[in-house]
Amino acid sequence: MGPARPTERIVVVGASLAGVTLADAVRRQGFTGSLTLVGAEPRAAYNRPALSKGVLDGTATDADITLPPLTCDVDEIVGTAAAGLDVDRREVVLEDGRRIPYDRLAVTTGARARRLADLGAADPGVHETVFRDLDDARHLAAALRGRPKVVIVGAGILGMELASVCAASGAAVVVVDRQPPLLAQLGRYLSDLLADAASAHGVELVHDPAGVRLRGTGTPVVELAGGGRIEGDLVLSAVGCAPNVGWLARTGLLTDGGLRVDARCRAAPGVVAAGDVAAFPVPGGGHRRTPSWNSALEQGRAAARTLVDGDDAPALVPSPYFWTEQFGLTVRICGELPARGTPALLRGGPPSDGALLRWSDAGGGATAAAVNTRMPIARLRALTRPEPVPLEVQR
Amino acid sequence: MKLSIDRERCEGYGLCAESAPELMHLDDEGELVLDHDEVPPSAGPAAESAVRVCPVAALKVG
Ligand SMILES: Cc1cc2nc3c(=O)[nH]c(=O)nc-3n(C[C@H](O)[C@H](O)[C@H](O)COP(=O)(O)OP(=O)(O)OC[C@H]3O[C@@H](n4cnc5c(N)ncnc54)[C@H](O)[C@@H]3O)c2cc1C
Ligand code: SF4
Repeated sequence: MGPARPTERIVVVGASLAGVTLADAVRRQGFTGSLTLVGAEPRAAYNRPALSKGVLDGTATDADITLPPLTCDVDEIVGTAAAGLDVDRREVVLEDGRRIPYDRLAVTTGARARRLADLGAADPGVHETVFRDLDDARHLAAALRGRPKVVIVGAGILGMELASVCAASGAAVVVVDRQPPLLAQLGRYLSDLLADAASAHGVELVHDPAGVRLRGTGTPVVELAGGGRIEGDLVLSAVGCAPNVGWLARTGLLTDGGLRVDARCRAAPGVVAAGDVAAFPVPGGGHRRTPSWNSALEQGRAAARTLVDGDDAPALVPSPYFWTEQFGLTVRICGELPARGTPALLRGGPPSDGALLRWSDAGGGATAAAVNTRMPIARLRALTRPEPVPLEVQR
Repeated sequence: MKLSIDRERCEGYGLCAESAPELMHLDDEGELVLDHDEVPPSAGPAAESAVRVCPVAALKVG
């Protein structure tokens, strides 16, 4: 696509981190045409990672987690979802029937919690509880006051963070998965580290390679395929997220149910996408969504440049950065995940007192993790470059 | 416009500094240093975007 003309209309659909960042960046790039941001949630954009951390444990208030409002010139339509897209007429069709014309479109509709029902692993009539937005966090925070027994299906990042906060609030917690906790996401070393921390905090980790099924009506019972049932007052599904692309059905924009972009975040001529919704090219071929805060930021900014500068915009070279807080450990990671093999210990003894880890990969690069260690992201990132390791971190 | 940092909350992620290097940097210990007491009006949008990207809401403008 060529550079945007000054009089063009840009419409951004999805008003969370990626959408707000993108809208802000479009103006900061000097775009002077009309800019509209459409968001389904009935409130100002907020910090989603805080939901499973400060919001649940009560240390973050609504004011703490609200993102600063946009001060640039933008028309914001809040609390209204886009229901469809008319590609031929270049109009976004809102759920209330309004049609918003665009010359260029940005898709930042993020993702929603996946359900076991979506995977065919829940009885009809099961009341399945998931965790993705502020209302979900408020409901869970209220339920935790009664010190329930909580069963969490899914030992990924979200499931383990929820387990941590639930256990800290005094709930009895069981986490069930097909795989050891976080193995697929973070690799063996960090999986073991965090699983040990979870056990030390009283969380029961159950592992059934054949998976589970939610049974019954109302609050479900978790049935293990390998035999056995686990009951709780509260059963939470934390089995990943799925892109919000339903409103793009029959537009020709989707491939295998996903929205693929190129390295400039282009999904089609005049259409960009960023954040949890977008499947970005993977080195070595294929596309993958990278649902993380830093990806949403990077892609939001890159997509804005593409909208404004067209094909002259630089390709995005992602610098993966991810963190999680659970069971007294804050882990920050730069580089590709999962990290395979045994890391070199660059600093530290017991990880809870602070450790710096580095996994070299075959290509000469590396993944670096700081556990309970404050370190500027730039220094952590420097450790992901090919050896030698900078001297100052070897101390 | 003034920027303020909640030291208790700041985890030294440094995403703010990456977003508005003209306003702040991290020192060698990973402590965030604000380089201006008063944000120049021209840097207002940069200050807001720095606040937005902080994952732990440690930075405020007011
Ligand atoms: C509980 C939780 C904890 C997390 N913790 C971490 C963490 O510690 N570290 C980390 O790196 N990442 C974390 N993440 C991931 C991070 O929050 C996401 O990557 C980030 O929010 C993605 O931003 P986004 O704008 O792409 O999508 P989203 O935040 O999903 O926002 C999409 C927005 O689009 C709206 N929308 C959807 N469909 C439509 C439509 N048809 N019309 C209009 N609007 C629509 C939605 O309502 C939503 O507001 C966490 C996520 C969750 C849920
Ligand atoms: S992004 Fe937030 S936590 Fe990180 S250095 Fe800036 S203020 Fe501190």
